[in-house]
Amino acid sequence: MVSDGTVIARGEWQPAHSSRAVAADLQEKQDQLVAVSDGTTLASGRRQEIDITPRVGSIPRRLTFVDGSVFETRDNDAIDALVSRHGGKRSGFVHRLEQFHPRLIAFTFAVILLAVGIYRYALPIMVEIAVLVTPPVVPEMIGASTLASLEKTLLRPSELPEAEQNAIRAEFAPLAKNAKGGEGAYKLLFRDARLMGPNAFALPDGTLVLTDDLVQLAKGDRQMVLGVLGHEIAHAEGQHSLRQIYRVAGFAALVMLIAGDVGSGVEDILSQGGALVALSHSRGAEEEADRRSVELMKAAGYEPAALARFFAILEEKLGDRGETSMLSTHPGTPARQAYIRDYAQQLEGAVNDP
Amino acid sequence: MSFSDLAPKASGTLERASFSGNAREYFGIWIVNVLLTIVTLGIYSAWAKVRRNRYFYGNTVIAGRAFEYHATGKQIFIGRLIVFVFFIVTNILSTIFPPFALIVFLIILVALPWLIQRSLRFSARVTSYRNVRFDFKGTTGGAFVAVLLGSMVASISFGILAPLSSRWVWRYVFNNLRYGDRPFATDPKIGALYRVWILPAALIVIGTLLIVGIGFAAAAATQAMSDTEMLDSMAGFSSIHWGILFVFLAYGLAGLLYRIGVRNVVFSATTLDGKHQLVSDAPRFQYAWVAISNVIVTVLTLSLMRPWAAVRMARFMAIHTGVIVVGDLGEVLSSMEASGSAISAEYLDLEGFDFGF
Repeated sequence: MVSDGTVIARGEWQPAHSSRAVAADLQEKQDQLVAVSDGTTLASGRRQEIDITPRVGSIPRRLTFVDGSVFETRDNDAIDALVSRHGGKRSGFVHRLEQFHPRLIAFTFAVILLAVGIYRYALPIMVEIAVLVTPPVVPEMIGASTLASLEKTLLRPSELPEAEQNAIRAEFAPLAKNAKGGEGAYKLLFRDARLMGPNAFALPDGTLVLTDDLVQLAKGDRQMVLGVLGHEIAHAEGQHSLRQIYRVAGFAALVMLIAGDVGSGVEDILSQGGALVALSHSRGAEEEADRRSVELMKAAGYEPAALARFFAILEEKLGDRGETSMLSTHPGTPARQAYIRDYAQQLEGAVNDP
Repeated sequence: MSFSDLAPKASGTLERASFSGNAREYFGIWIVNVLLTIVTLGIYSAWAKVRRNRYFYGNTVIAGRAFEYHATGKQIFIGRLIVFVFFIVTNILSTIFPPFALIVFLIILVALPWLIQRSLRFSARVTSYRNVRFDFKGTTGGAFVAVLLGSMVASISFGILAPLSSRWVWRYVFNNLRYGDRPFATDPKIGALYRVWILPAALIVIGTLLIVGIGFAAAAATQAMSDTEMLDSMAGFSSIHWGILFVFLAYGLAGLLYRIGVRNVVFSATTLDGKHQLVSDAPRFQYAWVAISNVIVTVLTLSLMRPWAAVRMARFMAIHTGVIVVGDLGEVLSSMEASGSAISAEYLDLEGFDFGF
């Protein structure tokens, strides 16, 4: 009686929850699907009662009967035909998209275009939203912990005379007064940091660190030092570090979510290498900070383009005549001097003109 | 380490695993996963994960039969949704009431062993072979000792006691793992673990010495030499950054060599049902080469060659993994328990834990 069904596929049948396997055929008889071995019916049921795993590549398919027993076969095409005979068009839709076909080239281009779009437009919006909803404790915590680890490694107490420190502090106050949050939002620290050379940097919580080497490099040109501090105030004011951290973290998260599995190596690079990149500012942020320095210097009644002299010293002493390149995160030094001077003149003009 | 060192004296037939997938087929699955994930604003990623795992499990074949991955897209999606909502809510509450952030942190720290145990159980229970599911019987306390105490011991001792910690973790995993009604058991020898520890440890020591040297050279050089990043040394690529990159490479290689060395030792000390011995004999430098070149190719092609890299690694791991079957496994029965929710697994996945089998 069993043999009057049509054989659909050959495979193995297994009782529920058991590893015992029996070579079997899947047959279709009227409205019943039947697993048959040597003329014996092992399991049967209507198509609607049988759970068939959706196709993925060419991995084996499993048909689970109501009693929990399973028929497994590698004959994917036969199962696809069976599924579509019973009106199951939708289940194979994703698989049909996935098949190797020129269409995949179009998909690849679509993915590249969408990825560029996300990077250019969606990521910046996400960063701005994240900055908006960040509670103030977060930049404070980042600032405090970064400073603590720098104190342990690169920073030593300043060796500048107390009088000089106080003089710079006194001139720093009017500079910070016009920045967002006012004087109280920024704290100036003097530190000796041989490894960093003549340097200044801003932490997200408004702490600014000025190295002894920079003060010495200025050779008493206090306006130039203030210009550099104006630049660093602007980084803190514009929350450039926080933005950069979010940009890097958001980028890593998007890659991991979208690509699904990028491999543990790439994941490490995204998370650890990302932390490294997060410490630098983008070229746009540097330019913004340069311009803001000019504004703050002017507002405090100092020499607006003093920062340009810092870049002139760098250019002269250290031979940095580098052009702005695609890869560098900083604008080239000569270019920075030019636009700082231009912007200072522009501001003067705006005052004199009307 | 050659296979002959690891082979037991007991006679049996070695069944090596193989991977039957190919990059051409997986590329289609991967690119459709990516496209649908973007188009659905990330929602499809749960179903994408299921298709990816089904492809890799379903193509990993041993003794003529493939593994099967049973988690559903809906399960993963709900797990991810809950984790996502949790993050949003805790963030909002921490903004309103800052100390809340600390409370949440402490709660998660306390709950971590439980999350790890649930996550391992989920991974085991959604995996089957020959119609029989795996299961995991480990306790939360066990996870606390094996994972948290273990990693603490390893880091406090600067990695000197890392083999001890690896032993705890793998004993926790395998001594609690069941294949149906058959238990796995492992007892990797501490001496064998230290033998695969020596080389990575030496690499880390050499890398650290070199970076200290580079650091001093850079310090001396900053006074005289050109450094374009004077204004913000926190910016751009200076010699310090190159030094850090170098350390990443040395540490990365050390990590790869250690990971595969431990896997070889542990698998080869593991039995199923007290007699069938697992085998892992991946040559360490070949593994490191596959892993590192995969990363380079993936990055250079902006991940378009990731499917190729993933299949290449799966194939490498499969052919270096096997089991020596002594006699017959007989009929294995599984009790088929509910896999539980995917929340803990997805949470740990998000936090970067990787406990895939």
